[in-house]
Amino acid sequence: MNKILRTITGLVATTLFIGCVPAPKPQVGTTLGIPVGSNNSSVEYGARPSNYVSSIQSYFSSKISRANEAKYKFSQPKRAYKRKGLAYGGEIDWKGWLVETSVATTSRSGRLLTPKPYMVLFTGNQVVEHILGNSHKLITKIDK
Amino acid sequence: MANFNTHFTVAASASAVVSGTLLSMEVVTPEQGVMAFFIGTLGGLLPDVDSAHSTSIKVGFNVLSLLLTIMMIFVKSSTYSIVEMFIMAALVFTLIRYGFLELFRKISKHRGMFHSVPVALIWGVVVAILMHFFFGLNSLVSWVYGFMTTFGYLVHLTLDETYSVDLGNRRVKKSLGTALKFYRLKTNADKIQTVIIYASLVGLLTIAPDTDLIVNALFSQEAWLNFKDVLLPYDEKWFLH
Repeated sequence: MNKILRTITGLVATTLFIGCVPAPKPQVGTTLGIPVGSNNSSVEYGARPSNYVSSIQSYFSSKISRANEAKYKFSQPKRAYKRKGLAYGGEIDWKGWLVETSVATTSRSGRLLTPKPYMVLFTGNQVVEHILGNSHKLITKIDK
Repeated sequence: MANFNTHFTVAASASAVVSGTLLSMEVVTPEQGVMAFFIGTLGGLLPDVDSAHSTSIKVGFNVLSLLLTIMMIFVKSSTYSIVEMFIMAALVFTLIRYGFLELFRKISKHRGMFHSVPVALIWGVVVAILMHFFFGLNSLVSWVYGFMTTFGYLVHLTLDETYSVDLGNRRVKKSLGTALKFYRLKTNADKIQTVIIYASLVGLLTIAPDTDLIVNALFSQEAWLNFKDVLLPYDEKWFLH
């Protein structure tokens, strides 16, 4: 029984530790606290991504199954910022431009699936991360 | 009542089936599938945490102590020195693993409302909230982990109820109905406890992550079609894809 207990505890500890290690993120500014109002200059959020359509399609080509058959829809880029999870301190770790993207892929049998919403985060023209969903409690969109 | 080994084996087997199905339906990635399996298995051990001397309570408090110690290290890693972190980690671990455990043993009652469906739901919502706010996971994955916790928990309760029926002697034991229950209203304390549990569930749901993605992924017509797609070979070529 003690052996099982030790094994479970060991497995859980390893899983938790691996699962909790924060992924390395690009360092985008170190400002702490909430940005004031919506009058932030473009300097604070960087340049608006220009080729966001091709950047996103290229980015997703290696991230989703059957990407070559995917159908995309894009919003206009909007300024946004993202906080770290509370386990990692909760401060802002990204500020830039967010493009709401909807991606419709096919199932393995070829059936077209309901489009999935993603938020694609940019720093300049570089995609830094994608998040499944239209919203996240740790992301604040500045432009509506 | 099933023993620890039985609960562990059944919860792990059921979680393996469900997480494998979610992986096959492309709801989770392989890494998330492994995590879902572990969480489902742990969910299957959670109900016996209210049993003062069970193995589950030791596992549960080991996990909780480790989780909170690791979280404290992450939060303080940028400001504390290594020695400060070691001291704090030792204090946090000892306080929870030994201090809270003793306190919990004194106040908890085995097979009380801890063995109930609403508490299974509360654990699922709590896990979803923690994953979303603390670890920044998206709402779908947060809810998948929450779902697996509740699923494992319900497997445990169902197993306990199954063991209440003695098929050999064709009788039911006194424990029948004490595990898979929705409420308990025997005493005033039970009534208050039941009200608090349901109120907590409603309160937690108000701050929980969005449910749109999980509903679409698991409880929609499309989810059913996706399941049928992966249940049998869609091209009818068994093992020859």
